[in-house]
This record gives sequence, C-alpha cells and structure tokens, in this order.
Amino acid sequence: MTDPSSAPPIIPVPLPRQVVAFADVSVVRDGRAALDHVTLRLEEGRIGLVGLNGAGKSTLLKSMVGLVTPTAGTIAVDGRDVTREARAVRATTGLLFQNPDNQIVFPIVAEDLAFGLKNHGFSKAETAARIAAALDRLGIAALADRRIHELSGGEKQLVALAGLLAVEPRTLLFDEPTSQLDLRNRNRFRDVLAALPEQAIVAAHDLELLADFDRVVVIEAGRVVFDGAAGAAIAVHRERAR
Amino acid sequence: MTTRDLGYVALFAALIVALGIVPAIPLAAGVPITLQSLGVMLAGLILGPKRGALAALVVIALVALGLPVLAGGRGGLGVFAGPTTGYLVGWAVGAFVTGFAAMVFDVEGASSAKRIAGLAGAAILGGLVVVHGLGILWLALYSGLGFAKAGMVSIAFVPGDLIKAVIAGLVTFQVRRAYALERK
Amino acid sequence: MIAALGAAGTTPLHRLPAGAKLLGLALLATALFLIDRADVLAVAAGLGLLAARSTGRPFAALMRDLFGALMVIAAIGIVDLLMVDAATAAVIVPRLMALAAFAHAVTLTTTTAEFTETLERGLAPFERLGLVDAGRVALTLTLALRFVPLIVEEAHEIREAQAARGLSGSPLALVVPLVVRVLVRAEEVAQAIDARGFPPPRSAPRPTSLPSSRQPDPTGDRPSHDHP
Repeated sequence: MTDPSSAPPIIPVPLPRQVVAFADVSVVRDGRAALDHVTLRLEEGRIGLVGLNGAGKSTLLKSMVGLVTPTAGTIAVDGRDVTREARAVRATTGLLFQNPDNQIVFPIVAEDLAFGLKNHGFSKAETAARIAAALDRLGIAALADRRIHELSGGEKQLVALAGLLAVEPRTLLFDEPTSQLDLRNRNRFRDVLAALPEQAIVAAHDLELLADFDRVVVIEAGRVVFDGAAGAAIAVHRERAR
Repeated sequence: MTTRDLGYVALFAALIVALGIVPAIPLAAGVPITLQSLGVMLAGLILGPKRGALAALVVIALVALGLPVLAGGRGGLGVFAGPTTGYLVGWAVGAFVTGFAAMVFDVEGASSAKRIAGLAGAAILGGLVVVHGLGILWLALYSGLGFAKAGMVSIAFVPGDLIKAVIAGLVTFQVRRAYALERK
Repeated sequence: MIAALGAAGTTPLHRLPAGAKLLGLALLATALFLIDRADVLAVAAGLGLLAARSTGRPFAALMRDLFGALMVIAAIGIVDLLMVDAATAAVIVPRLMALAAFAHAVTLTTTTAEFTETLERGLAPFERLGLVDAGRVALTLTLALRFVPLIVEEAHEIREAQAARGLSGSPLALVVPLVVRVLVRAEEVAQAIDARGFPPPRSAPRPTSLPSSRQPDPTGDRPSHDHP
C-alpha cells in the first residue's frame, strides 16, 4: 500500500506562481450562462473554489487551460491569452480531472506518463527520468509497470497526478479531487496536496480541505459571490447553501 | 478530426468490443439478442457516417493486430482467413451507409414514430443489406457455395438483425434526447 | 481459434520480418483461390501444416488451436458435398485448410508489437501525403483497448441495477444508459487529452533544459477546440 507521507519529507521550494487573470469572462451555452461576467486575479499559492453542483467551478477550471472558450472576455495565465496560446499554458498548468480514469489514456502506468511528456516534446531520455521522478515523488514508483485497471481509485488518482507532475507545471488545477475518495484516501490526498510546492487552485465540496487556503472564491450560477479569506468564504457558502 | 472526434471514435470502438463480451440479452420472448452487431449499427446512427465507419475500422484493426475483440474472444489473422471476413469488412461500409442514410431518413421535426422508423430503416440499409451483401459475397467465394446458397445461410440471421435494427432505432432516439451530438 | 500469439522463438518464420510474412500470406491466399486443382490444394494444405509445425508448436497444440476453424471447414465441406458436388468439396476443403494453417503459422510467429509496427509502416506513405496522422491512429487504437474493461464493468453495473428493478429483459434498459455514459466519458477523455498537450509538436523534441515556462514556443500554438 503506497503511503506518500512515509516518504522523506519534501522541503517545499516555493516555485514562482502564475497569475491567472479573468477579465469580464462569460461563457454562455444553450442560453445559460455557465460563467457570468467573472473578473478575477488569482496569484496566491493555495486558492479554493466552492459552489454547489453546476455553479461553474469545473467550467472555470477548464477555461483556464483553454478547454472552454469564453463567449466574452479574456483569460490570461502569466500574460498569455489562454485561447491563443493554449499549448504554452498547458505546459505550465496541469488539470486533474474529477474522474482519474478519464485522464489516463494508456493501459500501463509508465506508458501513460510518457504520453504527457511526449506531447510536450521531451526526449526519450528526459522522459524516462521524469517518469521515475514523478512516480517517486508520490511514493508510487512500484506502480510503474502495473496495468491501470488493476489499480484502486486512490492509486489511479495518484497516477493521474504523477502524469501532470512529470511535465513540471507551475500551477495545478484540481476539479473536486476528493469527491470520489473514501476517508483514508481523502486524508492521503490532503497530505499530498500539503507537500506540493506548486501553486494549486482547488475546486471542492470538501470544505475541510480548503480550510487553510490563502484564498477561497465562492461561485453561484456562474457568478463570483464572495472572494476572500478561507474561513469567511466557507461560512458564506454554508449560509447560502441552506 | 478534432480530439473530440477521436475520443468518440475510440470510445465507441471500445463499446463495440465490450458489447461482444457482455452476454446476450434474452428478449421477453426468450430469443437472445447478441449485442456486438447492434453496437455497429449504433455507431453509424449516433456518430454519423464518417466517425461511425472509423469506429468500425478501429475494431477491424484491433482484430488484425491479433486482439480477441470479436464476440467469443476471436481475433487475429485466422478470422480474416475464415468465412466471416465479408461481414467484418461490411461493418465499416455498413456503418458509413447507416450514418448517411440516417441523415437522409431522420428528419428533424418529424413525429417520433417517423423518426424511429427512419433510424431503423437506416440501420437496416447499412447493418443488414450492406453487411449481409458483403458477407454473402465473401462467403460464396470462400465456401464454393455460390451466391444463392450462401444467401440461404445468411438468411438465417436476418430476423435477428431486423429486430436489432429496430432496437438500434429506439436506442438512438432515446440517446439523442439525453445527449446532444452535432451531426457530422 | 485463440492463438498463442507471437511467442518468442528462433525458427525461420519467427525471424522473418512481419511485413514480409503478411505480404506473403496475402499473395498465397490469392494463389490458393486461383488454383482449382484438388491435388495441388491438398499439397498446399500439407505444406501449411508443415509451416505451422515449423514454428515449434507441438502437433497436438496446433490441432487444438485450429479445432474451431477445422470444424467450420468440415461443415462447409459437408454442405458443399450435399448441396453442390463432390468435386467442389474436394477443392474447397484443402484450400481452406491451407489458408487457415498458413495464417496460423504467421500468427504464431508474430507479436502484437510487430503487427503494430507493420501497421505504422503501412500508414507511413499515407502520412506523407497528409491523409493520416499515425500518432492519432495509434492513440485511437490504444484508447479503445484501454477503455474496454471499464465499459464492460459499467455494462455489468447497469445490468445489475436493472435486474434489481425487474428490467432484465430489455436491451434498451442496458444499451441506452451505457451509450450515454460512453459518450459523456468520450467528451471528458478528449478534454483530458487536450489538456495534457496533445498533439505533440511536429518539430524535433525540445532541447533538454530546465523546466521553464518562459521559453518561447517554437512550434506555434493551435487555437483551442471548444469543449462545452
């Protein structure tokens, strides 16, 4: 059973964070506004997104890496327009989907990690080194040659994360990372998250996870209804969700 | 072909393979319906001619690579060296015809009954006429029976395929209500 | 006939390149269908069995491998005998046996990896014409294989849930939700593939360097594809 918290303690080296800037962004689909005039400047190390299902958290995250094109407004990551420079943004910004199965493309762990690296143009030698490093970092080096469909949900999530880490992004986006995990795996994920030196933007229902974040944004029906300290934001969300 | 198309083609091919693994479903009348060829009809109806044919081609490629993806765990060159090659190739051509016919027969705005009939008709044209046509062609050559007698062998499967075509129409109709896919 | 696929070996057939074997098989198959003489075809069938045996696979195992195919051939032979004539049966049966045996010999001595490589090389001329992207083809095939077990599992889950509600006799109750799930999953898988930087840049791999996002991207960028 893999256990990253028993690995040697990682001394977080704070990497230069990116600035994600939403300038009056709206995403309208079928007459419904998935995002409604959102203006945000995200630059902290740990940012949380809370909101009910369908509020727009996923859309917000996906739009940061150009998977959703805004109907109005622009999104820029470190000054790069996400629509026009998608490849460059995706090289520095990784997105962990809610369902790790949908993110894992190859049937064997190491092959899947190689896929992400190949897309970003790394040589074979670099690929091998990065795969080993990423798996090691999460304490799952032993899973390198395993078949994906033999792994547990928690292990698959770590594999998906390793796939992102291998590319060495500066920012990681998480779409409800703990919603499909049991308690033990949720705790394990929290440890993993705490040890990540990368900037992290996390959309979650798991309010405990976000409790010590630098900043939390509350979203409702595509609009930002609160943006500030974690404690206050969570209280606002709780109140409005009655 | 966008990445999205690639996703649809690959996952639908996986569905066709999976439908060969799932056991046949006994209809209320007790007649079991095998699902793999139903999956091929659906590929044309739901993904359209181009993507549907590609999904079928993916399955054929997997067979050629030696993987046991046909119902019963069959795969490999031996399949192509056997009597069913025509049917297999017919899947790809048939999916294309089904998809194309569906664009013609299934008119938006028509009544549900008409639309389902149109979809079933498209499935019959591609999934039955084309598949059996090509299947019989090869079978006749392969077995030395000639078209007429090979046709008699194929006829045995027609009633089952007719039922499947109707089911395919119904499934497509209901799937479209749950999931919007742009027509290609 | 589930063959023992491409077991490693050192027989002559093992050492022949896959492309040559496949081409040879195709030519042989054509020849077999053009030849109409029962005696020649009988010899061919014998040669086919020898070829299969030359791969090192024991005779008993070969018979087991080919059992299904031989049963079908026997059935065809009987039907030919009864519904056409003995002369036809005498030609068809050895022809089909030869075909099955030679095909099996190739299957036994070629690994899936070699088949895949041959497919890639076969696609290369089309790729140069810009008609096909071998990378996308490979990805599509891999993806399909990767997701088969998951879809089978989903089918079982749906089946169980439906059975609990007494709907086990309806193919629609299984197929409709299964297809919808597959389509939804396909969408998200495509998004994940894009998010992971697919497709790879057409130019040479980038030089080894520190991971810096500040380097200009030499390959240019594609506009994102909309994923609602």
